[in-house]
Amino acid sequence: MAKGDMYLAQASDEAILKRGEYGGAVTALLKFALDSGVVDAVLGVKKRDGNNRYDAVLDLITDPKKVIDCTGSLHCVSLNIARNVKEYLDGAKRMRIAVPCKPCDARAIIEIAKRKQINLDNLLLVGLNCTGTLPPVVAKAMLIGEYEVDPKEVVMEDIEGRTLIISLADGTKIANDLLELETKGYGRRDNCRRCNVNIPTMADIACGKWGVKEGEKKTFTEVCSDKGAEFIDNAIKTGVIKVEQPGKDAIAERKRKDREAIELSSKCEAEDLKELRELSLDDRLAYWLHLFDRCIKCFSCRDACPICYCKKCFLEPDRGYVKGGEVPPDRMFHLTRLAHDGDSCVNCGQCQDACPAEIPLTRLYLMLNIKLSQMFDYVSGMNIEQKPPLIAAKDEEASIDDINHFN
Amino acid sequence: MSEEVKVEFEPRIIGFTCNWCTYAAADLAGTARMKYPPNIRLIRQMCSGRVDPLFVLKVFLRGADGVFIGGCHPGECHYMTGNLSARRRYSMMKKLLESVGIDPKRMRMEWISASEGIKFSDTIKEFTAQIKELGPGPFRHIETGGKEQK
Repeated sequence: MAKGDMYLAQASDEAILKRGEYGGAVTALLKFALDSGVVDAVLGVKKRDGNNRYDAVLDLITDPKKVIDCTGSLHCVSLNIARNVKEYLDGAKRMRIAVPCKPCDARAIIEIAKRKQINLDNLLLVGLNCTGTLPPVVAKAMLIGEYEVDPKEVVMEDIEGRTLIISLADGTKIANDLLELETKGYGRRDNCRRCNVNIPTMADIACGKWGVKEGEKKTFTEVCSDKGAEFIDNAIKTGVIKVEQPGKDAIAERKRKDREAIELSSKCEAEDLKELRELSLDDRLAYWLHLFDRCIKCFSCRDACPICYCKKCFLEPDRGYVKGGEVPPDRMFHLTRLAHDGDSCVNCGQCQDACPAEIPLTRLYLMLNIKLSQMFDYVSGMNIEQKPPLIAAKDEEASIDDINHFN
Repeated sequence: MSEEVKVEFEPRIIGFTCNWCTYAAADLAGTARMKYPPNIRLIRQMCSGRVDPLFVLKVFLRGADGVFIGGCHPGECHYMTGNLSARRRYSMMKKLLESVGIDPKRMRMEWISASEGIKFSDTIKEFTAQIKELGPGPFRHIETGGKEQK
């Protein structure tokens, strides 16, 4: 077994198989991780009060029997997993944790691990394919307004290509065009529209439904690291999951769907940023300053950002960069954040979710990040070995005289 | 009642210069009596790598029209790789300024060694002319209360 291997996996446990939407492989693997002692805990995502799909909580599970409670994907929540691991689990420095995560969560974890705030060796990243999440309040309004259903009756949401399919408790499925919903102000989160990382190959294993035939209860699983390979190997040997090799058509199908999703995201990106890109410099500055003036300096964006980690933050008034007690804050506030995180932003959208003034921060960060990614040939959160570009000056560069070498 | 006199726009440029090279070059330019515009105010740093991107932002936000950074040629940094880091930050800042809508041409970095007094004076002449052409910086009014004319 090695990196790059792919399987169609299915849980052997009957109860998990029944609960899981696609064969329960992820749940079975997480349970196995706990059972076998590979990890001390699983950081699962659970519906609040057991039934609220629009508000989920993170749960640090140490009892293997309880892993089954976090089965199923929730599209209407997007928890700040990286920040929680760093902040409240001591960066996984003292315990080994299995973390089921979306691509942006995995990237954020890797990016903050580069800054030594999380010990990646202690984490088992179980990546889950993702083509976007929905903001819960908007999702509820959409379900009532567009789907004409009671949000409480929804048992599953699913994004399939360009359609958003809602399944109800009685088995009915309603599908609507995703892009149409988004032009009406519903649909996915702002940043998710433009996200082009759907398969979390930066995690230890990447699980998803792409490449699985309609109606088949299986999970397409790709092994993405040596740690993941060893783990899957043991899981198969123990028999907690049943695997089969995916056919060539299944692999091609998965690739095709990924490519389609990426095409869709670049279309959305071009659409969303077109206006901003076409503005003259003066107008663009006026646009952002106007938005920055809505800021109430609640520090939510900083507190939510999985990349921010300074113990002594530049934005605190005692540092002299931003005066205390001023609303809106000095323009330095947002520009400082941009200068500090722009190169490593993983487009997770947590800052924008947290912003009470609804400043479209992800657009600002993405616009800069796209340019920096090209310039430094660096995609944030993909590879733990690759240092953030601003601190990665190499000795070879000493022989390059051109001051505009990167530009 | 005095008639308002139209003053030509005189840019205010802040220059962050490395102690080991560009600052010495400015010194050399001075002792050699080379002329360069007085629009630049130099702030000596121990290395161009000391120039935090926040310095640049703060300088612009406080009303400067341009920012200049002078560092040692690659391979000649007193601290080995300070200037290489500075180049990366400079490249990042250019994109950042463009993203938020400040003309990246208002920022310039050059390698100027301690012996290059001429290059220093030429660069400053050129940069000042460029800023004059671009006009007052976007935040100039903050400091001057909008009184200054173009």
